[in-house]
Amino acid sequence: MLWDIFCKVIDNHGDIGVCWRLAAELARRGERVRLRVDDSSALAWMAPHGQPGVEVMPWSPEPGPGDAVIEAFGCELPPAFQAELAALARARGRQPAWINLEYLTAESFAERSHGLPSPVMSGPAAGLTKRFFYPGFTASTGGLLREQDLARRQAAFDSAAWLQRMGLQRGSERLVSLFCYEPPGLEPWLRQLADAETPTRLLVTAGRAASAVRAALERLPPSPQLRVSWLPLLAQSEFDHLLWSCDANFVRGEDSLVRALWAGRPFVWQIYPQHDDAHHAKLRAFLDWMQAPSGLRRFHEAWSGVGGELPVFDSAAWTDSVSAARARLLAQDELASQLLGFVADFRP
Amino acid sequence: MKIAQEIRAGNVIMQGGNPWVVLKTEYARGGRNAATVRMKLKSLLNNQGTEIVFKADDKMDQIVLDKKDCTYSYFADPMYVWMDTEYNQYEVEKENMGDALNYLEEGMPAEVVFYEGKAISVELATSVEREITWTEPAVKGDTSGKVLKPAKIATGFEIGVPIFVAQGDKVEIDTRTGEYRRRV
Repeated sequence: MLWDIFCKVIDNHGDIGVCWRLAAELARRGERVRLRVDDSSALAWMAPHGQPGVEVMPWSPEPGPGDAVIEAFGCELPPAFQAELAALARARGRQPAWINLEYLTAESFAERSHGLPSPVMSGPAAGLTKRFFYPGFTASTGGLLREQDLARRQAAFDSAAWLQRMGLQRGSERLVSLFCYEPPGLEPWLRQLADAETPTRLLVTAGRAASAVRAALERLPPSPQLRVSWLPLLAQSEFDHLLWSCDANFVRGEDSLVRALWAGRPFVWQIYPQHDDAHHAKLRAFLDWMQAPSGLRRFHEAWSGVGGELPVFDSAAWTDSVSAARARLLAQDELASQLLGFVADFRP
Repeated sequence: MKIAQEIRAGNVIMQGGNPWVVLKTEYARGGRNAATVRMKLKSLLNNQGTEIVFKADDKMDQIVLDKKDCTYSYFADPMYVWMDTEYNQYEVEKENMGDALNYLEEGMPAEVVFYEGKAISVELATSVEREITWTEPAVKGDTSGKVLKPAKIATGFEIGVPIFVAQGDKVEIDTRTGEYRRRV
């Protein structure tokens, strides 16, 4: 099938990250994908080698629709493209598959809304029907993106060699990766690490995380217990390698949360903050699904500024809950398979 | 035209050229401050049920039907009986009562909606005041209203209320979202 994935970059490259990963995975399964994005500049470092079967195109109504259209995260398709969809539906006697790929959430409404039709009642495509596709953590949702060869790649991965290639060596210190916005818990956590018995090597990703850490370190006395390495912008595959190499990972947003789950190491997630505090319920729903132990729950809430004091960073105590969550997810169908099943009726 | 977020239980919308009564709506905040509205509908032509979902700002046609100000009178299984100011009685099926069941009490005002002379649904005011009949004891301190605890009203309907709200307090509830607004 020929897919059109429409993506608008709002901030932080999270949207394009998810869309690229989906496009690449569909292509690896034999689909042809046109990724239409209003700002593709981040793909230069995120996916420098591209993916056969994926064509990156500017945000434009031309060329017209293929067999399946995805509007990622509720972005509005160009009106001219909608008109083309309607014309194609009239000509063929049936419309192409039209999917609204929603944001990932553990809230129960995702289960209730996943797969539901959404009649288009106005505009050039009035009379057509979209379907809502909700990624999620349970069997009643669309699942999470997981490549078919992920387990094989993880098993074959040599973390010592990768760290060496990055100019790092695994010694006696705890390795922790950091990918975040500006979490309220950052400074207290760095203080903890500086005072901890176990030395920590913090691998800080480029961008907002690096800026936040630099600002926090200016307010802290230097400590031999905390050493910081500044990472360059990483391709998605290299980001996976980072997560697989560390003892614990701090991630943010949607895409890296999923990657941290597959990595199977203890992790802390900074949820995307929303002005109306909607992220509070979203974070708690995720922690409920994870069956997070008390320490991990309280750490998450303090880290994201949802409430409370930052408890002790005890990642070893969180290993079992992460492993159990990962095992539950592995037993469920992943997103690309579900999406392909979803549009099976639309195959030419 | 209205946007999906403005559609409420009791409204009738046109879909596929047919009129559908909205039995229930669920407003959900998505990522990046987006939102969706899930609707449970029933066809006014054949009583068939369906569920659909919209982005909160999707536009749609609402059919303007006849309405009458009524008050809830009594339950005559399986019908809920409403009365207008001239003592005319109108029966509404249970499944067409929508969210009104969450707040139902004798004398409750609402608009009864008619389609081809038949009472088909009720539309509530956007907010109601109800007494909290059960909740954990109130806690002083956090007055932000962001930390919520479960509470119930007389119908058994559960809402989240701030921790300073006590049993016996009257609160204002937004009937569109089922959420606490303020203590009265």
